[in-house]
Amino acid sequence: MNSNNGKKLAGKVAVITGANSGMGLATARRLVEEGAHVVITGRREKELAEAAAFIGKNVTAVAGDVSNLADLDRLYAVVKEKHGHIDILFANAGGGTIAPLATSTEAQFDKTFDVNVKGVFFTVQKALPLFKDGGSIILTSSNANELGVPGLTAYAASKAAVRSFARGWTLELKDRKIRVNSLSPGPIETPALEKVGLPPEQVEQAIAHFAGQVPLGRRGKPEEIASVVVFLASDESSYITGVDLAVDGGMAQV
Amino acid sequence: MSNNIGKKLAGKIAVITGGNSGIGLATARRFVEEGAHVVITGRREKELKEAADLIGRNVTTVAGDVSRLEDLDRLFAVVKEKHGHIDVLFANAGWGEVAALATATEAHFDQTFDLNVKGLFFTVQKALPLFKGGGSIILNSSVSNVLGMAAFTVYAASKAAVRSFARGWTMELKDRKIRVNSMSPGPIDTPALGKVGLTPEQVKQLAAQWASEIPLGRRGQPEEIAAALVFLASDESSYITGVDLAVDGGMAQV
Repeated sequence: MNSNNGKKLAGKVAVITGANSGMGLATARRLVEEGAHVVITGRREKELAEAAAFIGKNVTAVAGDVSNLADLDRLYAVVKEKHGHIDILFANAGGGTIAPLATSTEAQFDKTFDVNVKGVFFTVQKALPLFKDGGSIILTSSNANELGVPGLTAYAASKAAVRSFARGWTLELKDRKIRVNSLSPGPIETPALEKVGLPPEQVEQAIAHFAGQVPLGRRGKPEEIASVVVFLASDESSYITGVDLAVDGGMAQV
Repeated sequence: MSNNIGKKLAGKIAVITGGNSGIGLATARRFVEEGAHVVITGRREKELKEAADLIGRNVTTVAGDVSRLEDLDRLFAVVKEKHGHIDVLFANAGWGEVAALATATEAHFDQTFDLNVKGLFFTVQKALPLFKGGGSIILNSSVSNVLGMAAFTVYAASKAAVRSFARGWTMELKDRKIRVNSMSPGPIDTPALGKVGLTPEQVKQLAAQWASEIPLGRRGQPEEIAAALVFLASDESSYITGVDLAVDGGMAQV
């Protein structure tokens, strides 16, 4: 379709961090299908270029690391020059490493909090001048924000911090009519699991284990996160702010 | 539009209890706009008929009280005869009345739990045989399920029971691929507030107080609940089950 009939985000400008794979990429693609222009960012230039090619149209790629404030300045300078404003921000960049309390290094701890917490904080701070009155900010938390997850406690705590941001920023930004919600995925079919530092056999085991813990009996697909971001980004959720919406097949709900 | 392009509930059969005013009526209207056939029920025949006129098409009415099991049998007999199955159930009928712990009567307690808890329990039980291979059940809870509200404790507890049902039924119905979520409105601009037993001045005061307690600074519109219901009823929420989605302008989130 070339027209915007029935498209929920026609003409909206959306910024998505961590968009070169998984949930961020699926969301960027879906937002463009819904009529939005997207600006995507990620650390790996080659993957980012491939992501932009995959999205195909109405996409701008800016390579950068959200934990590096100079990179964020560069990102928003591009957004400002190209679009002049932001309607939707999906602060999605994040990651985790298996690191038990007893053996976690300072570097592992710092990296987790630098990207997941400090990176999200300044991603949103630096986006604010570009929001006109009104808009929607969606933060990627995790259902780990309310679960005890052995070996992933720094990750879980960082995601609890993100969920907390959604509460406080709802109040800080209410007078500007900007809604702020967090979205908490459960296990999703993304490359992230392969990156937490487990050998392939343990990844397989973890996938089987998750499926057993999820009422829906399977991992979610990135597209099932994307459809929720569309809802939270659009006026369909106009009376929803400050919530943490779990998209976890029921895993943390029962 | 007379075709179903872009409609999210095309051809779906939806049953909505408490469909004669406010949230239930707005949802029935929106579901029909999205391509669904709706069966609505409510206690007052005249209002129910007016609701059906307002909805205009693809609507069937069955007068009845959800706290009376024979009325539920009659409702689902009509659904079975007319449509043969159910895809979406919005168990919405509910009721509240101001009553302090110190002075609440047994009749107040019984009426609240009979309608909000027992009525909802058997609404879902008796709908189950009509679900085929998947579906979505949405239970109307309330943000009071997580708030302490003076003189509204029986209502709040009944809504906490409803939120609990969503957790357990997620497990009981997962093998049938039926998702179960609760939806918790904050203060919504409906006729319900006029019926809780307050004087008009108290209603006015309460509405003003809420507006100041709600981050979005206003009561929600029934159509904003209906939009959230479309999301939970449709495949856009295919990996969401067991959650309690607050549609409360941020009231209970901060």
